[in-house]
Amino acid sequence: MLTTPDRATPAEIRKKKGQGITIRWQDGHASTYGARYLRGLCPCAQCVSETTGQRLVFEGHIGPDLAIEAARTVGNYALHFDFNDGHTTGIYSFDYLRRICPCEECA
Amino acid sequence: METIVSNAVITEPKVLDALRSVMDPDLGRDIVSLNFIRNMKIEGGVVSFDVNLTTPACPVKDRLREQSRQAVLSGVPGVSDVRVNMTAEVRRPPQPQTNQIKGVKNIIAVGSGKGGVGKSTVAANIAVALARTGAKTGLLDADIYGPSIPIMMRSVGEPEMKDGLIQPVQAHGVKLMSMGYMSGEMPLIWRGPMAHKALQQSLLGVNWGELDYLVVDLPPGTGDVHLTLVQTVPVTGAVIVSTPQDVGLQISMKTLRMFQQTKVPVLGIVENMSGYVCPHCGAKDDIFGQGGAVRAAQALGVPLLGEIPLDAAIRKHSDSGVPVVLGEPDSPSGRAFTEITGKLAQQISIQAFKSIPLTIIED
Repeated sequence: MLTTPDRATPAEIRKKKGQGITIRWQDGHASTYGARYLRGLCPCAQCVSETTGQRLVFEGHIGPDLAIEAARTVGNYALHFDFNDGHTTGIYSFDYLRRICPCEECA
Repeated sequence: METIVSNAVITEPKVLDALRSVMDPDLGRDIVSLNFIRNMKIEGGVVSFDVNLTTPACPVKDRLREQSRQAVLSGVPGVSDVRVNMTAEVRRPPQPQTNQIKGVKNIIAVGSGKGGVGKSTVAANIAVALARTGAKTGLLDADIYGPSIPIMMRSVGEPEMKDGLIQPVQAHGVKLMSMGYMSGEMPLIWRGPMAHKALQQSLLGVNWGELDYLVVDLPPGTGDVHLTLVQTVPVTGAVIVSTPQDVGLQISMKTLRMFQQTKVPVLGIVENMSGYVCPHCGAKDDIFGQGGAVRAAQALGVPLLGEIPLDAAIRKHSDSGVPVVLGEPDSPSGRAFTEITGKLAQQISIQAFKSIPLTIIED
């Protein structure tokens, strides 16, 4: 059986009202993402140029009162967010989320 | 419920203790802690109970029945007879609450690296074989490029709409929906977004009712339809169909990687067109090479579910609309399909026990 590495498989996903998302991974590590941080690293084609791969939208562009209105899972492999600025096109795979963990250890 | 026979008291805990020695070989746990034992009755020296398995397609059913019988007969003093009734209830793997098809417990994607490897034949035969065991089964033909399931399953007519839902067609005990129904005689000439919408409707807009298994026949390769499937519903697992030669060329590997990337467990590889047995002299000719799937399965750590020989019976029955597993179950290919389905059902049960629920807890 193919098993994906535990480090990119969530054990628990929590959404704290107004504070973003916390994922505890199966290897025991925990990652906490603020709404602005996630919005600034949105992997969708509007935020990252499809032809050059250059990032077009940064956290610095995002207003201070940005929040996640809704979060849901995508199949078995990703999260999707509705941000209160109307942006809803990003699909954040768990592999990607683990890679962008903002904690001091990972950064 | 205590009965005294030859000075020995038979109690339910004693029987359960004896049954703890019986292991489910796939789940690696004993059948008591797995909560398989139901409806125990003790009357005189006669003990009867149900063993409620995780799939009616379980290939070790008879072995477990005999082991359970022997365990109680030899392990509990005073027992004169044991009656074991084998039942099954397909467990639903833990799933996110969003975006699932109500009533459908397991979704199995059947994919291939390239076209023409017999993917639809495998999907149709697996679905019919599952239904034959008593499992409630659906089959969704999502191959927009060449929807062939309606021919293979001899389904006539088109599905009707009722209460805003498409009513699936019934064929050989399987609930059926095909992308082919959406266009009639015309080919489907679709851009990605059209295919995306059509598949979503075929998944969520169909009155599937209660299903133990929904088998989805995917188009060949990796594309829009695959992405939509893995993004719209939690797929329990995928089966990859390949010829020995195709595996040698490593085309199927791409399909495998796609499922890996979207965290869909690969339940196994089926090798189709695995050698041709001459009906005149009985000699076997490995037209497409030999052992490719075995090697690929080993290298990737994925189970090889089985090998299906090139057999004229498959073609004959597919063309006449009765899959070979039903039309000629004792043919070499019919037996291969039955065995593959049993192994697949085992893998699904293992997956259901292994997976962790993926839900977002809102604080």
